[in-house]
Amino acid sequence: MQKDISMILRSVSKPGRYTGGEFGQVVKDKNKVDLRIAFCFPDTYEIGMSNLGVRLLYGALNGMDEVWCERVYAPWPDMEEQMRKNSIPLFTLESKDSVKDFDIIAFSLQYELCYTTAVNMIDLAGLKLFASERSDEDPVIIAGGPCAYNAEPVADFFDIFSIGEGEEALPELASLYLEMKKNGTYTKKAFLREASHLKGFYVPSLYDVEYNDDGTIKSFEPKYEDVPKKVEKRIIADLNTSYYPKKPIIPFIEVVHDRIMLETFRGCIRGCRFCQAGVVFRPVREKSAEVLNEQAKEIYKNTGYNEISLSSLSISDYSCLHEATDMLLEWTNDAKINLSLPSLRADSFTKELMDKISSIRSSGLTFAPEAGTQRLRDAINKNLYEEDLMNAVRLAFEGGKSQVKLYFMNGLPTETYEDIEGIAVLAKHVVDEYYKMPERPKRPVGVTVSVSCFVPKPHTPFQWEPQDSLESLSEKQKFLGTKITDRKIRYNWHDARVSRLEAVFAKGDRRLSKAIAYAQKIGVRFDAWDEYFDYDRWMDIFDKCGIDPSFYANRRMSYDEILPWDVIDTGVTKSFLISESKKAYENKTTPNCKEKCSACGASKLGGDVRWCPKKK
Amino acid sequence: MVPEEEITPIRIKFTKTGSLMYISHLDLVRTVQRIMVRAGIDIRYTEGFNPQPKMVFTPPLSIGVESLCEFVDIKINSPMSTDEIKKRLSENFPDEMRVLAVYVPTTKLSDIAYTDYIINIESPSIDENTENKVRELFSGECTVVKASKKGEREINVTDYIKSLDVKSSGGKMSANVVLCADSENYLNPELFIKALREKLGILSGDVKNEYYSVMRKEMLQKDLKVFE
Repeated sequence: MQKDISMILRSVSKPGRYTGGEFGQVVKDKNKVDLRIAFCFPDTYEIGMSNLGVRLLYGALNGMDEVWCERVYAPWPDMEEQMRKNSIPLFTLESKDSVKDFDIIAFSLQYELCYTTAVNMIDLAGLKLFASERSDEDPVIIAGGPCAYNAEPVADFFDIFSIGEGEEALPELASLYLEMKKNGTYTKKAFLREASHLKGFYVPSLYDVEYNDDGTIKSFEPKYEDVPKKVEKRIIADLNTSYYPKKPIIPFIEVVHDRIMLETFRGCIRGCRFCQAGVVFRPVREKSAEVLNEQAKEIYKNTGYNEISLSSLSISDYSCLHEATDMLLEWTNDAKINLSLPSLRADSFTKELMDKISSIRSSGLTFAPEAGTQRLRDAINKNLYEEDLMNAVRLAFEGGKSQVKLYFMNGLPTETYEDIEGIAVLAKHVVDEYYKMPERPKRPVGVTVSVSCFVPKPHTPFQWEPQDSLESLSEKQKFLGTKITDRKIRYNWHDARVSRLEAVFAKGDRRLSKAIAYAQKIGVRFDAWDEYFDYDRWMDIFDKCGIDPSFYANRRMSYDEILPWDVIDTGVTKSFLISESKKAYENKTTPNCKEKCSACGASKLGGDVRWCPKKK
Repeated sequence: MVPEEEITPIRIKFTKTGSLMYISHLDLVRTVQRIMVRAGIDIRYTEGFNPQPKMVFTPPLSIGVESLCEFVDIKINSPMSTDEIKKRLSENFPDEMRVLAVYVPTTKLSDIAYTDYIINIESPSIDENTENKVRELFSGECTVVKASKKGEREINVTDYIKSLDVKSSGGKMSANVVLCADSENYLNPELFIKALREKLGILSGDVKNEYYSVMRKEMLQKDLKVFE
């Protein structure tokens, strides 16, 4: 480690965030590789190391002999201060080399509020924020992750966006880079143009955007004929044979998800109308129980972790769940390994499942009814009945659990005060259910009601929806507080101002980049962290940059408007989204993929899909 | 289960150097737990609802200090040769930790009384005369403020120094210092550095031109024999 880096680590909090050296990290000889990639996660080490996607890509890229991919996490402000004071540019954990000297810098954009942190990392690297201001010699800066599905607010900062699943796409991009370097055709410009021809890569500088007088988009067109009008997302066809990291890095310091993360399947059969993940990960593809079990055994042997978490968007919808848990439990108990199943759906929570996970030490279970009344649950296509929830909590209580956490949302389209009151009623019913049981555990019941605010997301049936105003959301939160009177119910709610900023960025367009650049300049970062979130400062920034946040967050868009993210094709058709949006206003549900195909369009992407009708 | 008294105790001596100096003791404990699992060493666990592996470590290393002599005592359920244990551990240690020896201990970890540190400092403020100043500083009372969870208190660093050997030349000094390290009297070597900084003005905070490292070289018993 360089002496100056070592010295500043003596004066910062949690220096273990910056040292690297963990078991499982990949170290190569930098003189023997042709392409060096710095993989940046714009949040702390503890958050970034918990991200499965980054681990997949790190492993997939390092699987290439000519490539060395290293990790970078956002330095916490105390570290940033030391780095700037002592002119130490952003460096990677593995080699401690300056990120600026890498060939490609890749960012994972997991949530909108990481934007300022991401661009600050570009600045800390000593590079110009705007792609147009960087030279041919500067690294190519790419980004991917869920935010790439509407990358427009940060489009001006990045050269390329990777759309969809990247385990195969990024190595393809790396190969293109290597090839162009080898045959001498590489210039950044030429590389970007070639990259736009690869499937799943969006090069924002190759598109012209024009606006109408009312601020909506007039046209969004590729500059050249060979650049695709729409960029179709990438998917991994077969999860049984695709790359999975079997020797993950084991952090020294405690991270958020410090356990074996086993991905069971991608996509979700449900189609909740507010949910972006439910759309962009379509079609549903599953991993077989055998493959899962083999991966679990191998990762356990390679890590020594004592907890396995089965990850998915909705674990009880995994069609091999019982088979898989049976196989796992055969050896995990003896090895003193805990099995955890996050993302349980109340309507598929069974006695059998309860028995299987009863070994888990926690005394609580979490369910997400999202809305308080059947009417609203139908409108958002949650497809969950109160009876399902009551069955689920009864099973949980019978299994000795006494704590239940319930997730809801305020501000959903079509919501009325009756729906909000319904949240209090539903929570009370859960409490009552507990005391109806003669054989309940000998502890008092605790029900936590956690209410977030609806943020309209691109590519969902609710993408055209305005977000509720800040005033209305605050009023609704207060109202619910007055309706929750039982002291066994704990009520907490999200800061509506955070959700509003999320909505601005989620539905934003390219004109927001100047606000983000300005925010970075005046020191805004870590917006997702309570201690740094400053709403008033953001309103001031928008004001100074001539941006009206309501235009993005609180305006109903029309079905025929050109949306900033129309350039991205998730496979799901706009007509399907429109029909879903209309059905919401009729309180009509749509069957899940397992029951009936609703022809969303995603099956065109192919893959070893579980529920889509097979192509003829 | 094998009765407690029939289980062979095993001692592992290892190093923790380089960037691992920034890994806390608690993190080290968790890391070693996982190493044991990976290495397939059938380590004894505590009984009860939340079984934890039984491992006893040497006095925690302060953050920022490297070590050539860390010890952990374990007990194993099924017999395994010390050579085999050493081989398996070596395969599973991260780069900056190294297994030095695995053996059946003849001493108790509580026999440790002192720690021998090598402290190297680079600073433009150091010259040939610095070594005399350092010797003089610790020939009498030398108080610094020690901050802990319980609050701040003044301590006399000299009280904790068993022996001191220091050499300096232009821009560099090296000190070999033996500090108390029993359960009642333990001095964090960082406080020794603090005394140099505060009383002699060595190390001003200029990270481009200054550097220091602290290495735990050996542990010593009360009779000053090297602890093994």
